[in-house]
Amino acid sequence: MQILAISPDANERSQELAERLKARYRFLADRDLAVTKRYGLLHARGGPNGRDVPAPATIVLDRDGTVRWLTVADNYQVRPDPADVTRAARAVK
Amino acid sequence: MSKYGPALLSVALCVGAIVGYFSLLRVVFIRNHPALYVAAFALAAVIAGVAAVRAPRWPNLTALALSVVLLGLGGYFNFVFARIPAGPSILRVGEPAPDFTLPDAKGAPVTLASFRGHTPVVVVFYRGYW
Repeated sequence: MQILAISPDANERSQELAERLKARYRFLADRDLAVTKRYGLLHARGGPNGRDVPAPATIVLDRDGTVRWLTVADNYQVRPDPADVTRAARAVK
Repeated sequence: MSKYGPALLSVALCVGAIVGYFSLLRVVFIRNHPALYVAAFALAAVIAGVAAVRAPRWPNLTALALSVVLLGLGGYFNFVFARIPAGPSILRVGEPAPDFTLPDAKGAPVTLASFRGHTPVVVVFYRGYW
């Protein structure tokens, strides 16, 4: 299982923390939000100072790269329940 | 209940909703039901409103003003400001995820397709600008 965390940030420090915790996280920088847009997840002017940000989303892919589970936030205070994500990830082969 | 009872109850509900929400953000149920703080403000406004109609004294009127302001702000924040309009639905369960290549924290390129055949992947998009 590989976790890819995508945001406009570079996140060197988050990556160091993840490695210290031996978490299977890789932080990827989508500087110009091109991938966020390709995934249909752009929240235009949703960030600080009217900047564009990704809509919070979690997508579980199987070994073939097929979407098996996904959740996209419709309110930025809300995040998926980690138990639901874990269950979805464990069900995937 | 003393003559200040309803006003105190109303203010306590408002303060409790704010403190409770922020201190329990790590509790999934609290974080994922932000409308609860709006409901608490609404209940506080009803209590203070009823008390103010029965006895239009300053404690009741103050509690009513406070709870109505919080209800307005909280309602606006939760139902309007924090709402994310639905984007184009490109992702569908059962369909392949679009491939991408992005730099990791050290600048090394990572391609989604490189995990194909090896391991399942959880892709998390988050807001950033931290």
